[in-house]
Amino acid sequence: MANRRDLVKRRKAARNIRKITRTMQLIATARFQAAFKAAVAGRPYTDKLAELVEKLARATEDLDHPLMRVPSENERRVLLVLSSNRGLCGGYNANVLRTALRHLEGSPLEQESGDKILQEDGSSSLLTGSKGETEVHMVGRKGASYFRFLGQAIEREISEISDSPRFEEVDALANEFMNRFVAGDIDSVSIAYMKFLSAGKQEATVEQVLPLQRSVSPTPHHSEARGKQREIEYEFSPEPAKILAELLPATVRVRFFQAFRDAAVSEQIARMVAMKAATDAAGDMIKYLTQKYNRARQTQITMELLDIVGGANALA
Amino acid sequence: MADSNLFSDAKTFSCSVVTPEKIVLECAARFVALPAHDGEIGLLRGRAPLVCKLAIGKLRVQTEAGMEIFYVDGGFAEMADNELTVLTEDARRAEEIDRGEVEELLEKARARAAGDPAARLEREKAIERARMQLRVLA
Repeated sequence: MANRRDLVKRRKAARNIRKITRTMQLIATARFQAAFKAAVAGRPYTDKLAELVEKLARATEDLDHPLMRVPSENERRVLLVLSSNRGLCGGYNANVLRTALRHLEGSPLEQESGDKILQEDGSSSLLTGSKGETEVHMVGRKGASYFRFLGQAIEREISEISDSPRFEEVDALANEFMNRFVAGDIDSVSIAYMKFLSAGKQEATVEQVLPLQRSVSPTPHHSEARGKQREIEYEFSPEPAKILAELLPATVRVRFFQAFRDAAVSEQIARMVAMKAATDAAGDMIKYLTQKYNRARQTQITMELLDIVGGANALA
Repeated sequence: MADSNLFSDAKTFSCSVVTPEKIVLECAARFVALPAHDGEIGLLRGRAPLVCKLAIGKLRVQTEAGMEIFYVDGGFAEMADNELTVLTEDARRAEEIDRGEVEELLEKARARAAGDPAARLEREKAIERARMQLRVLA
């Protein structure tokens, strides 16, 4: 039966696919471990920085920094979306992009024409952008092609940041946004990305990075540790306000970096899960095809036997 | 490590150097020289609590095993309870710095256009970075 040969072919194809998805799963697992390690390795820096900011904020009475400037009207927003460069990672990109889009819909969409005028002359913002605009900066090829498909305007596409982001790469981007923010060119910056909560849980979120919120809330285990510690009288050099002025940009930079790193870890987890599912599904498919093949073979044998027995009976 | 008894026999304090990417160093130190924003600061066990801003420069850590030298790209240092934490966005061991590479960087930085004040600041910073890395090597 021709059907049998077809089944053999399909089974072979399923086997090959399973081999590929299994390999991809293994690669994603290895990458995940590396990314996770990197994320954990950076934690002391982030924690300590937050601790220092906290201490210094207490030492300075009135805190005022260009990065904390709260614009009277949120007119020119920036949304940085972190998607992946490569696909085959399940719902990862879809989740991030959906969250980003929902965020965009909540705020009026940008008009390309008003954009140009604004860049040349910040004062005209009241005329052209009274409704507020959001420019989208897209990291990752997947997100960019999806937004293009939707016809959603993208200010810029960034695809050269690698899967394991280096601080320098993110640093440049963060500095650029900070400079524009301080110059008054933009009024807020948010990042849409997949937040890494644990190996089993990731969440697509939109977080505002600029302007800096006044209360840099410490994580619970933090305040606990400090509760035990007695109040220490520090010697500051230079004075607290000056150190703080330098610390705050560092906090913003590290938040950008954290987002990128979270996204990298989450992407690998998503890919791992997707490829595991694909491998399992291929296994089921192979089982099903094998069953069908055996049945077809058995049917053929039975038919042949019937033929022979029929023939023999006719002769007898 | 965390005991703050000044009269104990121990002569070392804990010292860690961390960057956003990783923990560069975590060890017990006898002496540390920090590149503070206004000059070098030497630290020994029992130092009064200090928070200070760092400049781009050379960080020396004297451990039981010997002297370790790092290049740090600014940042902050906190010393409290005989625990020193150096926070910097880039820290490299002297052995990890490649002279040829840095010299190339210096050339590139020098060749940079210095039009508006911002660009000039950037250029100066880049030159400073390369120069300090060379000095760490020397």
